[in-house]
Amino acid sequence: MDIVKISKDDFIAFIGKKLKDKNTKTIGVVRKGSHYVFDQLHSEKELCLDYDVTLLPPKKYFQPPRETLLKFAPFKADSYVAVNVCEPLTIVGVHYYDLAAIYLMDKAFSQDERDDHYIQKRKNSLLIGIYPTRHYKYRFARSVTRGQYRKVADLMLIHIGDNLVVEVLTEKGKKYLEGANTEENDYSMKEVEDAKNLVRDDQKLPVPIELVPEYLTQNHSHGVWEHFGEKCFSCGSCVLVCPTCYCFDVMDEVELSLEQGKRIRVWDGCLLEEFARVADGHNFRRTRSGRFRHRIFRKGKHLPLKYGCFGCVGCGRCADACTSGIAGPVKIFKYMEDHKS
Amino acid sequence: MQEKEDCQCTGKEEIQESSIYLPEVATLLRKEKMTQFDSFFEFELKDRSLGHLPGQFAEISIPGIGEAPISISSPPSDVKTFEMVIRKVGSVTGAVHALEKGDSVGIRGPFGTSFPMDGLKGKNLLFITGGIGLVPARSAIKYALEHRKDYKNIWILFGCKDPDQRLFTKELAEWEKRADIDFYETVDRCDGCDWQGHVGVITTLLPKLEHIVDPFSTYAIVVGPPVMYKYVILGLRDMEFPDDHIIVSLERRMKCGVGKCGHCQMDNIYVCQDGPVFYYNDIKHLKEAI
Repeated sequence: MDIVKISKDDFIAFIGKKLKDKNTKTIGVVRKGSHYVFDQLHSEKELCLDYDVTLLPPKKYFQPPRETLLKFAPFKADSYVAVNVCEPLTIVGVHYYDLAAIYLMDKAFSQDERDDHYIQKRKNSLLIGIYPTRHYKYRFARSVTRGQYRKVADLMLIHIGDNLVVEVLTEKGKKYLEGANTEENDYSMKEVEDAKNLVRDDQKLPVPIELVPEYLTQNHSHGVWEHFGEKCFSCGSCVLVCPTCYCFDVMDEVELSLEQGKRIRVWDGCLLEEFARVADGHNFRRTRSGRFRHRIFRKGKHLPLKYGCFGCVGCGRCADACTSGIAGPVKIFKYMEDHKS
Repeated sequence: MQEKEDCQCTGKEEIQESSIYLPEVATLLRKEKMTQFDSFFEFELKDRSLGHLPGQFAEISIPGIGEAPISISSPPSDVKTFEMVIRKVGSVTGAVHALEKGDSVGIRGPFGTSFPMDGLKGKNLLFITGGIGLVPARSAIKYALEHRKDYKNIWILFGCKDPDQRLFTKELAEWEKRADIDFYETVDRCDGCDWQGHVGVITTLLPKLEHIVDPFSTYAIVVGPPVMYKYVILGLRDMEFPDDHIIVSLERRMKCGVGKCGHCQMDNIYVCQDGPVFYYNDIKHLKEAI
């Protein structure tokens, strides 16, 4: 792995140069009111590398909230064609936990059956990560991630003073940096490591993630699910903001002319009441507590069993977004720890 | 510049060569009404045989209406046709019911696990089916009857709500007559209807088999509505059936069929991939299974 240094101003100017390349779309973190979002950069001045958290993770660029899978002429089954919208994409300033989420999404969409709608978009992306520089009170990412971000990031930025130290993790990342005003990194390893760990999490999951699958099995009937479940509005805010929630619904839409139609997929969420309902009306997860439990079991047990990595990356967005203030995994696990059965 | 592999990458909508969501075309060859809400359909794929195993399902599509998972009710075969019995319960199934001979649909599949017909060779088979549970079970029943010598005793139990809900009535009559199998039928209720047979829920048929069925050389294949399983399994346990001699087929909302969309997940199992057919022994510890 190469490691280089570039002044923050030079890096921003370099991004400005990249913005002139009309073949690649550059996404970055930009300010939106008092919040931050991932959005297309039109000027390098919009780019914000120093932020707490974005409202939504960058997942939306690989699994858009609403995406056309197929097109067809209504009632003509021989007219189905698969479609995709993808383009070279660079995303700048992704925190390591959101990268860890992309690592999981990659596994989910490529293991067993390969989902080209996702994979094509991912394959044409370049990810520039950054170690967080600002505190966010709900974040507990350090306790639930294990360096997966290094397997998906092409470059990682480390903020030190007026400079950025750049870890070059892939050939693609190296190529991207060509022409940038980089110089040899003269910071010591300790300075770099300290900068990476500049922001400590206030919170941590009280159970080591390696033990969580068995811990949840033991606590399947714990009162926590009823206790928090009865406060849940089934609004789905927690799954909407989650970087590792990729469940979707599929539906057909027909144009008013009745000549063209499309099959779209839209984000869906297991907290929503209809999620497990079948055609004759039977709902296989009809209670709020059952749905509340399923989300935590999926993140803490089912996804780890299926994909070998923890299903929550500790971004804390769900805890922040939850109307009832009950969705945060730390709060849920602490309750179980405090009320051992 | 970055890699431009496979796709055009123009930022505009382009045709994508492959997609796990892209259906193939099948044509409706035959349609017969079975009950007020259930009809029989025979489809033919354009270029190949479906290549399914008993108990698997496929996703059926009507462009503009949507897609739904439907059990395949015919046994495996080399021909390009396959059969389904579809209950009109929603928009997709409603649109399928409106199809005429010669109309086409989209098909993806087959998906999921199947009844282990090879592994059951040399065993006794006890089919316990309720309502449209007979539809997936029929693929295994017909397979067993086509390979009758491979299996020892075959008992078939079928129950439905009332006589008007009976499916495959001609075949039921044939099964009734066959000397090489035992067929028992019941209806849950019959208020003033013309029905000479047994009345009562499906478990009321089980006592007829006591002391006849040897649970240790018999495998029970149970398919029915969610409410049926617990009672039937209790009944089978009373008959001392080992849990690994009970095979079930479970229903879930199998939206994508390929283990992605999350709708059919129960505990850590994706019913569309890991099921719908399970040994009861393998799922009895799952809290969300039944």
